[in-house]
Amino acid sequence: MARKGKCVDFEASFIRLIDKVTNGSRIEINQTGTTLYYQPGLLYGGSLEHDCSPSRGIGYYLESLLCLAPFMKHPLKIVLRGVTNDQVDPSVDVLKATALPLLKKFGIDGESLEIKINRRGMPPKGGGEILFACPVKKVLQPIQFTDPGKIKRIRGTAYSVRVSPQMANRMVESARSILNKFLPDIYIYTDHMKGVNSGKSPGFGLCLVAETINGTILSAELASNPQGQGAAVLPEELGQNCAKLLLEEVYRGGCVDSTNQSLALLLMTLGQQDVSKVLLGPLSPYTIEFLRHLRSFFQIMFKIETKTPEEEHKGGEKVLMTCVGIGFSNLSKTIR
Amino acid sequence: ARKGVAKSEQYEIRREEEEMRSQMSCHSLKKRAVLTTDSGNCTAEEASESEAENSSMDEGDDEEGSHEESEVEVLDEKGFRRTQEKKISNVKQTELKAVEDEEDDDVENLLKEEEEFEEKIDFSADTAGALKWKEDLTQKAAQVFLRQQQSTPNLRKLIYGTVVEDEDRE
Repeated sequence: MARKGKCVDFEASFIRLIDKVTNGSRIEINQTGTTLYYQPGLLYGGSLEHDCSPSRGIGYYLESLLCLAPFMKHPLKIVLRGVTNDQVDPSVDVLKATALPLLKKFGIDGESLEIKINRRGMPPKGGGEILFACPVKKVLQPIQFTDPGKIKRIRGTAYSVRVSPQMANRMVESARSILNKFLPDIYIYTDHMKGVNSGKSPGFGLCLVAETINGTILSAELASNPQGQGAAVLPEELGQNCAKLLLEEVYRGGCVDSTNQSLALLLMTLGQQDVSKVLLGPLSPYTIEFLRHLRSFFQIMFKIETKTPEEEHKGGEKVLMTCVGIGFSNLSKTIR
Repeated sequence: ARKGVAKSEQYEIRREEEEMRSQMSCHSLKKRAVLTTDSGNCTAEEASESEAENSSMDEGDDEEGSHEESEVEVLDEKGFRRTQEKKISNVKQTELKAVEDEEDDDVENLLKEEEEFEEKIDFSADTAGALKWKEDLTQKAAQVFLRQQQSTPNLRKLIYGTVVEDEDRE
């Protein structure tokens, strides 16, 4: 547990989720909720559903599921309920736009790989619902992904629930006012959900995704303050700030955006016994800690080279990460 | 067999790295050499002709000639007068372009005084300074390379701690 205190509700919810997707896990939390005993079981998968705690976004749960799903015994098909978009965790929209293409690069592919947003739920009350489905793979392909290429197009989603549908249009307008200076191929979808699909709390937000000619996807997002917390945010302001965040992400660059750095590194580690290379932007603090975890769990250390862009106008310092996969293969999947 | 492949791959990476390193050191050596020749030239030039500095700096072609000249100076100390005169004529030429209004004699006298005064220092600077840069260039290049290495942060060390250093060397 990260906090000094007790196991918090969203952590309890996460543990329950892990219990659901595995078979034979033993989980014990002591009475004061300060220590956790966990004996791992087999990743089982199958068709499941789970109510996530509304104090964290679904992204918090989905991030971990994305790491585990390819190695299940049965393909995972899970319905998650809770907060789809918040200010803390990567939103479902961003994970859908960035993490899925990344999984495809590792050979985790197929029709069943999808994230679908059935209902949107904003904090504090949530009420969103998504479907996540992922096929299983025996082995992962190594990747050689060192040239991001130039930005080809920008896509995005402006969503609004339980507020005026005009909010989405205003965000799109202001984001375009910045991005149109750089390239013409911009399309930002407006997504206004109504009735039961709009969850329990009002809110709006914007997700932007920049795609390069080599298929690198960089993302940025912002969401309005939850109802009753903080000052009201103007959609124009939010749109502009989000566009600037996307430009910042483009400046950082690399072949994997900062939200998915650790996922890419994990899948590289678990790949076949072959060299994988990926060029990243500046490592996020999360990724740095993740690298330490990878060392303690898999005894694997990456070769880390800093690359200063020699050409001008090519953004910040890049890091070339190289490793040899440990040759992990899905034990539960029988060979035919 | 797989393991073997992986190992060979690793070796390749290591070799690549080594190649890159050697290339880099070569590069820095060149850089260093260029730098020092420049500075060597300057010391010889500046010390002898402090006043005519601007005009000589303007003419890029002059640099080579004066450098050779200084070497000649070192070689035949007896022909002190000759070289000096040669130099003065050289300086005169350049000076003529820069300062046209002044009378030639005055300039010459002034220069002569300065030349005689500074020539002694020039000699010591020549032997101690101009030849010094040629000493152990490879070592200097190595030092520059190491300094370069240290100035860029070692991310591996930052992430994994100091343990990595030992494993790296093996």
